[in-house]
Amino acid sequence: MRPRPPWLGTEGVAPVQYLLVHVVDGELAAAKPWDEAAKASLASWVDQTISRGANLHGSRLGPESDATTVKVRRGELVVTDGPFAETKEQVAGYDLLECSDLEEAVEWASRHPTAQIGAIEVRQLYNDQPSAGLPEPAPGKRRYMMLVCTDPSVDPDELEPVAPVEPWVEEMDGRGTRRFGSQLAEPALARSVRVRDGHALVTDGPFAETKEQVAGFDILDCADLDEAIEVAQKHPMARHGILEVRPFWPFQED
Amino acid sequence: MALSGGLSEPALAGAFRDEWGRIVAALIHQFGDWDLAEDCAQEAFALASQRWPAEGAPARPGAWLFTVARNRAIDRLRRAATYQAKLKAVASTAMTETGDGGAGEGAPPDESGVPDERLRLIFTCCHPALAMEARVALTLRALAGLTTAEIARAFLVPEATMAKRLVRAKHKIQSAGIPYRVPPAAALAERAAGVLAVLYLLFNEGYSASAGEGLVRRDLCDQAVRLATVLVGLMPGLAEAKGLLALMLFHRARQAARVDAKGDLVRLEDQDRSLWDRAAVEEANRYLAEARKLGDVGPYQLQAAIAGCHASAPTAEATDWRSIARLYRQLADMAASPVVELNRAVAVAMADGPAQGLALMDELASTGALDGYYLLPAARADMLRRLGRLPEAAAAYREALALVATEPERRFLAARLTEVDPRF
Repeated sequence: MRPRPPWLGTEGVAPVQYLLVHVVDGELAAAKPWDEAAKASLASWVDQTISRGANLHGSRLGPESDATTVKVRRGELVVTDGPFAETKEQVAGYDLLECSDLEEAVEWASRHPTAQIGAIEVRQLYNDQPSAGLPEPAPGKRRYMMLVCTDPSVDPDELEPVAPVEPWVEEMDGRGTRRFGSQLAEPALARSVRVRDGHALVTDGPFAETKEQVAGFDILDCADLDEAIEVAQKHPMARHGILEVRPFWPFQED
Repeated sequence: MALSGGLSEPALAGAFRDEWGRIVAALIHQFGDWDLAEDCAQEAFALASQRWPAEGAPARPGAWLFTVARNRAIDRLRRAATYQAKLKAVASTAMTETGDGGAGEGAPPDESGVPDERLRLIFTCCHPALAMEARVALTLRALAGLTTAEIARAFLVPEATMAKRLVRAKHKIQSAGIPYRVPPAAALAERAAGVLAVLYLLFNEGYSASAGEGLVRRDLCDQAVRLATVLVGLMPGLAEAKGLLALMLFHRARQAARVDAKGDLVRLEDQDRSLWDRAAVEEANRYLAEARKLGDVGPYQLQAAIAGCHASAPTAEATDWRSIARLYRQLADMAASPVVELNRAVAVAMADGPAQGLALMDELASTGALDGYYLLPAARADMLRRLGRLPEAAAAYREALALVATEPERRFLAARLTEVDPRF
């Protein structure tokens, strides 16, 4: 376990983990190219968050067109090309921060360059996992982000209640497949941060008003997409919701 | 370069048809790079088109082409100075593929001299994580060797759109980690059904193309039959592949009789049966019998059996409607659909009389599942006409006319309406 970060002080506040979901608006991103200044600003943000002990891990994700959704309906596996919801702003990456409170997480989000070309959704984790980084995947493994999403078109009366997730977590941790994951605080408690003309705009709720909402996430190391689909298919939410599986960005820098 | 369309030399055209998919599949397996595989296969055929007319075709054209293509690929990788990196990537892919229990692992080279990795290629092109339209396009490009322009013309979209679709699909295969392999036994049945769905869609696209549309579009039927034949050869135990191939062959056998001189569709009962391709019917019957022997009855085999009943009837009147009604019943039990129910009702009417057919159609109409589909009121009208309930028949024809989309069908219904209601 990592020592208690000095910036939290010595007593009182327990550190809380927050997921920063980076979303990019295609039009804004096209108008404001990812130039050297933006790269430098991102590097400096990462350095600062790490040196302050706030940044546990994070990554850019593969584009939305590399996403695959997985669900099980009437006992049948349904695999679809594309993300869990079609939105103007697209999920592009994440950071996992450890902060003293939501205010601090929102403050970090507003300094991230993505806030200028999209938004950053800040979600608290319901998680008691230790603060630790994420080692690189083993050779021959690829890393995937799995977003666990609700699907309001499923009629809960037609189905058994959602089975507990613990047996799945235990199995996938045991296989070395699940490297990290957590349920998230409900979307209503989220904050979405955008910076426009130098001003931070903080709104309540998730970045997009979609029917489907992200309820949790898991980071998976799998041999290939077929294994990731199999792992997603076994998740209890496959029957009630939608699982989006997306590869991590494959390059160190681009 | 439109190689598939530009080969005059028959040996070359034959080699293209028979070997393109094998060569691309084997190159992707070896180098893990789709674009490299396609480009080098294309270069090998280009070289063949220069050499073969003068020097004569080699004894084993596939082996010749594969050797040229593979050497080009190695050459390019060396020049790109990424050879070592690629080899490492290939080695690590090969490592992750061992012991999955899938069929077709490490297929040895056969007499053609090209290792047959096409089954991997088929399953990868038809992977469910790709959009259906991308699966179809990739299959035509990688396995059948159609150019992007040809595929775009076949699907009536701009070439740039099709190019984007292919690039995006190949990108996803690489970066999302879609494996290049035959799925393991546990997933094989489900994934094979997905492959058949792609071939079926391909066939239907070609079959529904009108005479006025481009040849490349109608050629989709031949491509689908060719690919289904390859699949049957690679997976001889898959009953539904044989069922689907039989179904395609039965339909294709009737193609010459389907359209009249004006280009209008001719209904099955009005077709000139002497125009049906008896050899194709025989071939279809053979595949259907083989599928039956395998025992695993599925929707394609049932549809093929229905098409077979029609194909074996010397006249429309001699059709075995009772068997057809029974087959539709089985099909409805397996894959319930209101359209299947409507077809069953028509078959029952032919076997047992219009009153029985009408009862089933009324039941179907009351569910509302076919609201807006003109064939239901058209079929009801036909029952009512044959029962002599002419005013009701006229009302049903009018209902169908209000829903019909195409001109030939409108003309047909209007003609029937004048029969039951001369004032019209």
